Amino acid sequence: MSVISEVLRSAKAVISGMKTTISQIPKEKWTVQYPDVPVTVQPRYRGQHLLHVDEMGKEKCVACYLCAAACPSDCIYIEAEDDPRPYEDRIGRDERYAKVYNIDYGRCIFCGYCVEACPKDAITHGYNFELSVYNRADLLKTKDDLLITKQKQSDKYRVALSSEDVDSEFKEV
Amino acid sequence: MAEELIKVTIDGQEFEVEKGRPLIDVINEKGFGVPSFCYYADLELQASCRMCLVRIEKMPKLQASCVIRCTDGMEVTTKSEEIEKAQRAMGEFLLANHPLDCPVCDRGGECELQEVIFDWGDVEERFDEPKNAHPEKFLSPIVANDQQRCILCKRCTRVCHEWMGEDAIEAGNRGSNTVIGTYGGWLNCSQCGNCIEVCPTGTLLDGVYRHETRPWELDQTITTCTYCSDGCQLSVGSRADEVHRIVARDRYVNGINGEFLCIKGRFAHGFVNHGDRIKTPLIRYKKGGKLIPSTWDDAIAFAAERIKESKKAGVVATSRLTNETVHTLKRFADECRDGTSYAVSDTYDLAPFFENLSAPLCTHKEIRFAETIVVIGGDVDEEQPLTAKQIRQAVRNGGANLILVNDTPSRLSHQASQFIHVNPGTVEAFVLALADPSAADMAAAKMGIGRAEIDKARETANATKGDLIIMFGKELGAEAQAVAANLPSRHENRNVKLHPLAGYCNSVGASDMMPGRKPVADVVAGSDALLIAGSLSDEEFAAADLASKPFVAVQELFLTDTAAAADVVFPAASFAESDGTYTNNDGFVQRVRRAIDPVHQAKPDWMITSLLASELGADFGYSFSASAVFRSIAESHEAYEGLRYPDLKDETRPVRVKHKLVSGADVSGAVASLRDRVSQFPDAADKITEEPRVGHKLHRVTTMTGKTPQFHLLANGNPKPDDLLVSPLFQFNPDGSPKKEEESEVAAG
Repeated sequence: MSVISEVLRSAKAVISGMKTTISQIPKEKWTVQYPDVPVTVQPRYRGQHLLHVDEMGKEKCVACYLCAAACPSDCIYIEAEDDPRPYEDRIGRDERYAKVYNIDYGRCIFCGYCVEACPKDAITHGYNFELSVYNRADLLKTKDDLLITKQKQSDKYRVALSSEDVDSEFKEV
Repeated sequence: MAEELIKVTIDGQEFEVEKGRPLIDVINEKGFGVPSFCYYADLELQASCRMCLVRIEKMPKLQASCVIRCTDGMEVTTKSEEIEKAQRAMGEFLLANHPLDCPVCDRGGECELQEVIFDWGDVEERFDEPKNAHPEKFLSPIVANDQQRCILCKRCTRVCHEWMGEDAIEAGNRGSNTVIGTYGGWLNCSQCGNCIEVCPTGTLLDGVYRHETRPWELDQTITTCTYCSDGCQLSVGSRADEVHRIVARDRYVNGINGEFLCIKGRFAHGFVNHGDRIKTPLIRYKKGGKLIPSTWDDAIAFAAERIKESKKAGVVATSRLTNETVHTLKRFADECRDGTSYAVSDTYDLAPFFENLSAPLCTHKEIRFAETIVVIGGDVDEEQPLTAKQIRQAVRNGGANLILVNDTPSRLSHQASQFIHVNPGTVEAFVLALADPSAADMAAAKMGIGRAEIDKARETANATKGDLIIMFGKELGAEAQAVAANLPSRHENRNVKLHPLAGYCNSVGASDMMPGRKPVADVVAGSDALLIAGSLSDEEFAAADLASKPFVAVQELFLTDTAAAADVVFPAASFAESDGTYTNNDGFVQRVRRAIDPVHQAKPDWMITSLLASELGADFGYSFSASAVFRSIAESHEAYEGLRYPDLKDETRPVRVKHKLVSGADVSGAVASLRDRVSQFPDAADKITEEPRVGHKLHRVTTMTGKTPQFHLLANGNPKPDDLLVSPLFQFNPDGSPKKEEESEVAAG
């Protein structure tokens, strides 16, 4: 095969490729400039869990262990404790609260069964998704990381309105 | 007992069953299944929950199957639209006042109401009236009560009345306001916790295990209780190497005790994970110095060196240890150094009893169905609660004759058909009167009773056709024990059975493991190097003067007086951390199973002893397995011949050790010396008329029970707090005095 035919064949391939590229330039863009621009997430997005508190700031969790029982990857560890003090002095809303509440994000599969199981609406999925760490042990999140009053929310996401359509992957382009 | 068989048809299938059995038992046994709350096999019938309704042909209405006895030709329907409608309606009624706080309730997950409502309840609740609401409160330091969860099955009140004879808990008020409560709002009973165990809902709850974890999170290990000699089977609930609670074995697949446990078995498990446990081996390098934490290798080498140097070594076992440990200690004495003497520390030595044993020991089941029970001495209610419960049921439900011979009145004496109230310390004279009628007059005079009382007891015993059970306590000396052990052989044509009220969980086993033992005082005095497994009793310790001994090694859980006086202390594993066996006062050899790994650096007692032995040059060949020790027991003790751990697997069919029976032994010597002893008793004495308070021995604070804080309050008079909603532990100091305001605030943080 001569050198000329080789060059011609390559030029043809480049032109057909560039044709696709150039034809996309005037169209709407779907790339998100994360982390410079916040990502839009669905309202039902399953991110890092949140442990909720009631209007008086008392933890809603009563340490019933149902989330731990429902968890298919066995990543929730709880230690319950009795809190006989009156409501005003208590940590939790009820006389029993979770002294220890750990979720191991090395194992969590974000299935949402714990949220389904919770009888007190104490645990939900938040939107934080930036869970990568430099040390595997740091994937174990304790109550200090999970409580809604203490969890540091990333400013790198924006929750979509329910009317908003953000399912870009499935959208006909 | 051959029962007449009759035909009963259940849902179209015909079965042959024994006549007169409760229908509900037959239905459940044949696999049809009716729900029930108030029915409890071993209690009086109640028929208040109306869940076990069935249709019986030729009867006008639905019948509660728990109160129906099987009769010939009975045709029963257990499932129909009509029955289901009735059951669903009952479920709805039960939930009308029941709060839906299952997530907070400690019973959640093992609640009978939850289970039944899942199967038979209606999802929809039609009552929208407000429910009765009462805050959760305490009835005692260890019984928590949530009134509105109650479904009024009254199992607790029946258990309290029938099993314990205490009537501490009763139903009050009327109609939908009926609640389970106590007299004066505070429980002053023996705190056995059986009401908690039988409660099908979360009405009565364990105050020690309160809000700690949930039942499905616990690993259940079936093991044997480490307190009294009854050897109740229990289930240790542990999670992450921590013992959280102890409950009885399930009611239908149970050990000898069913769902019965006493306060100690059920609640006094705080010692297992207590912070005061000895963490590492300790060595006192020179006399008068301190105990210094050390490594296992150093401690074993140090102890072995000092034992080698000594002129005469001695071994002291205690009767709380497993058979494996006592056997290993015996081998240590036999094989490591020539002329090593050995002893067992116990409240009383059973050797004279087993040497003259002429009838098999009686089991607890036999006590329940006995015809006549003679209890000589002891304090069954406080020291062997299961035996007391069996006696009480035999009297109450089986109509047995109870002859109680004691110098102190007790709860049981109210139920006795004959309570022979003797002068203090003269219980032995009754044994003499039974064995030697010619001495009966003298014995009666010494006991301060009329001759007629002895004759009446003898008459009752002679008229007994069924089992005649003779129990005796620690008041009996060596001769009296020998004579008592020989009593059955005088009545060969009758079922006379013996039941020693031994002191500790393995008194019988320790007695079997160490034949030829000497008294503790002799061993301590005669040796200059001592190995003590466990602790000496207070009297023995005071007499021993361990500090003056050249060398003492102790294997213990806590730094007790004995351990504190030792030169080397080895941290031993508790019953929840080691494998082994206990032999109870039925002669049943029962497994002790490891529920959690040994805490800190503890090792099982038998392992410590065999490590020490191998350092001294004697290899027992156990290679760290308890089953190998048990094989060695089976090979060297006739009574345990052929037994292996797999034989002991099933706690519902406990295995009896074969104690050697001596029939027709000549005990005239013992009778004569007993007569001499009795004749030296004072002629007149003041009788003890005051009944000691319930729990005077059960609530005692000991090394083990004292680690559960609730016992301190109970031992100090069980004060009633002002605020019943908060645990008394937060309101009182351990000595029973109220906490000051500032202190309780500090404690609350």
